[in-house]
Amino acid sequence: MSNSPVVNWREIKSLHKFLNKKGEILVWTKVNVGPKGFEHQVPYFVGIVEFEDKTKRSVQIVDCEEKDLKVGLKIETVVRKLGKVEAAEVIDYTVKVKPI
Amino acid sequence: MKIGIAGVGITKFGELWGKSLEDLIIDAANQALIDSKLDKSKIDALFIGNMLYGKLSNQDHLGAFAASLLGINVPAFRIEAACASGGLAVHLAIQSILAGSYENVLVIGAEKMTDYPSSEISLGLMGAGSEEERHAGLTFPGLYALMAKAHIQKYGTTKEQLAATAVKNHYHASLNSNAQYPFEISIEKVLKSGSIVEPLTLLDSSPITDGAAAIILSKSVKPDQVYIAASAVSSDNLNLSSRETLTELKATQIAAKKAYTQAKVSPSDIDLAEVHDCFTIAEILAMEDLGFCKKGQGGKFIEQGTTRLGGKLPVNTSGGLKACGHPVGATGVKQILEIAQQLKGLSGKRQVKKASVGLTQNVGGTGATSVVHILKI
Repeated sequence: MSNSPVVNWREIKSLHKFLNKKGEILVWTKVNVGPKGFEHQVPYFVGIVEFEDKTKRSVQIVDCEEKDLKVGLKIETVVRKLGKVEAAEVIDYTVKVKPI
Repeated sequence: MKIGIAGVGITKFGELWGKSLEDLIIDAANQALIDSKLDKSKIDALFIGNMLYGKLSNQDHLGAFAASLLGINVPAFRIEAACASGGLAVHLAIQSILAGSYENVLVIGAEKMTDYPSSEISLGLMGAGSEEERHAGLTFPGLYALMAKAHIQKYGTTKEQLAATAVKNHYHASLNSNAQYPFEISIEKVLKSGSIVEPLTLLDSSPITDGAAAIILSKSVKPDQVYIAASAVSSDNLNLSSRETLTELKATQIAAKKAYTQAKVSPSDIDLAEVHDCFTIAEILAMEDLGFCKKGQGGKFIEQGTTRLGGKLPVNTSGGLKACGHPVGATGVKQILEIAQQLKGLSGKRQVKKASVGLTQNVGGTGATSVVHILKI
């Protein structure tokens, strides 16, 4: 999470590399105490996923309920707002995943 | 390798509202100087391990900052490797002596954490992780929770085994007046303490701590002096998801192998160890990666009492990061101090009997840096 518009501009250009990727959950957990910028989202889910191209990534898992989550669950990438955005800040976006 | 430990000093660990970083540095360093019986004019260089002070307080330039507090004009270096800052400072100080540049070197580890809200500290600590992890809303409890879940999935490690690690370390801390939490807890209390990130609870986690430790390292080793027989470091990918496996710390395995070779010992020769239990799962992984037990057996190994005071291999007699406290930059230096005091027979109620070889393991991030030292007398 950066407040530099230049960093956001540079990073957003590589976001497309993570679009339309599918894979599965290797390990997941529920975060009950989150860091600054994520406090309003707790509890939320995070995990390490493996995409079809065998690359792995730590990601937030969204649009799901705890009872649906399991190792091996098929997921796909989505673009979402990163964390809490203050009024005068640049909006940061990132890749998250949701169950297919 | 034979690098003498000429003197040691440590502050109380805890929530020290009345103490500044300056106070902690001066206290620990002066104790080490008095213990060494060396005049400060004999100190040739200073290394200070610290992670967060620049980020939190805007005071950087900590090498000269510490040297000026002590009134010495020497080469002074600030070393940062996240929670392994202290261990890496010790390693670099040793290298500077081995290079022939200096005779006596002062190493300080210091961290002042309780001046700021815990959300700010969590964010600061996440500087040790990767951007990918920060973007995922992960914290260190979150990353270690993923490692714990992977260990549970693969080896059937239980929450009770995780809790047993914290219970043991609190027992050790109850015998250490410098510890942040010098009292015992029960398995049930750990399990019922609030969940931070599943499966890790509040009492599976090391606290936010103020504290400092200092040691003086010397080229010469006097008779009956504890010396460092091995100092090894390895790094690994900062990003947990990019590692080969979630259930092993490759950096610890590499550093440990090098250290055993340097000191000409094997894991079975180690009489006691101070390891990096930032979360209970980390101590389980350490037992396995240091070769004390088979992969996957770390939980059982601890639960059986092997690593409790009186057991075959006491681990974290100081109380560890969990109960002695974890002022991040100080931890790696404190570990050396704890082993040095044990080997000299100065550990009072928590003294390990007939110990002559000890090991320390200090980890940065989720294992992107690992520092292993072996001490002998």
